[in-house]
Amino acid sequence: MTPSVTPSETPARGRAQQTATRPPLPVKMVIAGGFGVGKTTTVGSISEIAPLTTEAAITEVAAGVDDLSHTPRKTTTTVAMDFGCITIDPTLKLYLFGTPGQERFGFMWDDLVEGALGGLVIVDTRRLDDCYAAVDYFEHRQVPFVVAINTFDGQTEDNLDEVRWALDIADQIPLITFDARERGSVRDALLAVLELALERADSASRRQAAAAPGGAGS
Amino acid sequence: MADADTQADEDAVTGPAAEQGGRPSAVRPFLVTAGRVAGIRSSPQIPLETQVVSTAAGIEGMEQLAFERRDIVALCRRPQSLAEVAARLRLHLNVVRVLAEDLESTGALSVHVTNPEAAQDLSILRRVIDGLRAIPDVRETTP
Repeated sequence: MTPSVTPSETPARGRAQQTATRPPLPVKMVIAGGFGVGKTTTVGSISEIAPLTTEAAITEVAAGVDDLSHTPRKTTTTVAMDFGCITIDPTLKLYLFGTPGQERFGFMWDDLVEGALGGLVIVDTRRLDDCYAAVDYFEHRQVPFVVAINTFDGQTEDNLDEVRWALDIADQIPLITFDARERGSVRDALLAVLELALERADSASRRQAAAAPGGAGS
Repeated sequence: MADADTQADEDAVTGPAAEQGGRPSAVRPFLVTAGRVAGIRSSPQIPLETQVVSTAAGIEGMEQLAFERRDIVALCRRPQSLAEVAARLRLHLNVVRVLAEDLESTGALSVHVTNPEAAQDLSILRRVIDGLRAIPDVRETTP
C-alpha cells in the first residue's frame, strides 16, 4: 500500500507526483452579515462557479453541564452555507464562504474562520442590528475585517458617518459602501479587506523582527 | 460485535438507496460513516477548503469501492476542496471529512492539509491582492 503524499512530506520536488494534478494552495475569506443582506449575491458576483451550497452538521454547546456525564450538552443542527471560488493562478485559489445567517451558530463559524485571510461584514442600513454578531465575532477572533454597506439601489454614501455612529464601531475599522450585484464593486470590497490584512500581517512581522534577538530566529 | 452490526446496517441501508440513484439524502449521514462522527485525526477538523485529489491507485481501484467512496474518488480526479465535494455529492461536510480520511488511509485519495499560517503570509496576501486586482469590472462573456 502506497502512503498518500502530503505537501510537507514531499522533499523531492523534481520527481513526478503520484497524483496527476497538484492542487492549488487554498485560501479563504468569510462573507458575513445578517439574513438576506446579500451574502450569496456577493459571492455569486465574483465567483467563477455558480455559488454552491453545502449542508454541514454543526454542534452547538449549550450552557451548563450535564450532571450525569460531566460533559457539556450538545445539539446538532444542519445549516446551509453558500460558497464560491476564484482561481488566482494555477497554484493559488481563493474561496469565499458565506456564514449561515443565524448568529447563534458559533461553532460553525469557528470552522469557517480558522485560517481565513479576512472577513467582509455586509450591512443593510435598514437592519443594522443584524451585523453586530459578525462584528463582535471577528473582533474577538482578531480576524481582519471591513464593514461594507450593501447600497442596493439609490443609496449614496452621504450617511456613512451616521452609520458608523449608529453601528458604534471603532474608528480603525474600515466602513465602505458597495453593491453586491456589481462584480467590480465586490472585487474592491474584498481588496479593502485584503489590504487591511496585509497591513496587519506586515506590522506583525515587523514587530516580530524587532523582538527577535539577533534576528536569527524564524 | 458492535462493529459488525453497524457494518451490516450500513450495507442493508445504503444498498437499495444507492441503486435508486441521485437520492443521497435518503441515507442518514451516520450510516454512511458507520456511526463515526469524527475523523481518524484527533486534532482539529480538516479545514473545509482543504484540497483533495484522487491518487492513481485510487482511480485504478475505484470499481472496488462502494457508493459514496467511489463517487468521491471519481469526482476528485480534478483537485477540489472538501466543501466542493460535499456540495457536488450532496453529502454533509462532516461525512466527507470522515470518508476523505478513510480514503487517504487506504491510499486512494491525497488530502493536502496546508499550514494555517498561510493567512499571515505576506507573499500569499500580495498574490491574492494582485490576482483580484486583475479581475475586470464586467465578466467576459464566454461562448
